[in-house]
Amino acid sequence: MSDPATTRASSSQAFSSQASSSQAASSQAASSQAASSQASALLWRPRGAWEGATKPGRHGAPDGAAGVRLTLRDGFGLATLIAADGKDADLQAILAERFGLSLPEAGAAQIEGERGLIWSAPGQWLALAPSPHVLRDLPEALRGVAAVTDQSDSRALVRISGPQARAMLAKGVAVDLHPRAFGPGRAAVTSIAHIGVQLWQRDAGPTYEIAVARSFAGSFWGWLEHAAAEFGYEVEPGRV
Amino acid sequence: MRIRCPHCGERDNGEFSYLGDAAPRRPDGMEASAQAMHDYVYLRDNPAGTLRELWYHAAGCRSWLVVTRDTRTHAIEAVEPARDVARARSSGEAA
Repeated sequence: MSDPATTRASSSQAFSSQASSSQAASSQAASSQAASSQASALLWRPRGAWEGATKPGRHGAPDGAAGVRLTLRDGFGLATLIAADGKDADLQAILAERFGLSLPEAGAAQIEGERGLIWSAPGQWLALAPSPHVLRDLPEALRGVAAVTDQSDSRALVRISGPQARAMLAKGVAVDLHPRAFGPGRAAVTSIAHIGVQLWQRDAGPTYEIAVARSFAGSFWGWLEHAAAEFGYEVEPGRV
Repeated sequence: MRIRCPHCGERDNGEFSYLGDAAPRRPDGMEASAQAMHDYVYLRDNPAGTLRELWYHAAGCRSWLVVTRDTRTHAIEAVEPARDVARARSSGEAA
């Protein structure tokens, strides 16, 4: 057993020697900074969540008009809101006052254009915005009322429309999407091909949107293109 | 088998995972006897009939639920959020 006083002394010595060696390292780092930033510009290139898996254009059954339209979305803002215990009413009040948004009830989505809130679990919602920048003030505005976590880069978002959109989704979604059970302003958290998804309907077109964990974008796309093939489908890139 | 989640509506049972009997309550491990801990960890009734059990809606709203199910027929009588059940139980104790 070592004496605690000795241990403290030796660890503080170790700390100071570490500090001086890191000072030396930092001057060395500064000189090579120009070279490394050039290298990282080549290595680190921002890319969309769907890049690599998808190819814009017409695919699947070639005859007639495409039955399904898949719009790849990019550049949007997303954040999860989790209300603090018993603060649902306060959260509702702040969102209404500051952002003009009302909290949707279970299984619902409140969407206007590119802004909105989508229910995801009791006391939890997904906030949607036209860009991540728009959500910047949210954590401060909701301090003490809700936990806000940016998800803009952690989900891949695709918009699904066209006359066969519902028929295609029916192959993988175990939730009834028929108009008598689901419709514009409805939302569900479920799974497709064993991949967790959050889906909501925007309009009676019908137009749906599906958010999937970004790392599953490729796997999910594999299901989408097989499911859509028989109807003929159009893939279009879309910034928002 | 389908379970009507009180938050999400009726869903396929593949979206849920099963824990078991909802009745056992964990004894205070610092005070309980070894026998009481053993009973809590290992001993379960296995009734042919109505059982209240815990299910987790893993692929949906990620809520714990208390499902009242007939083990012979899989007929589900009631589904309640486990949170409500726990709160009702602790407020019953306080009263």
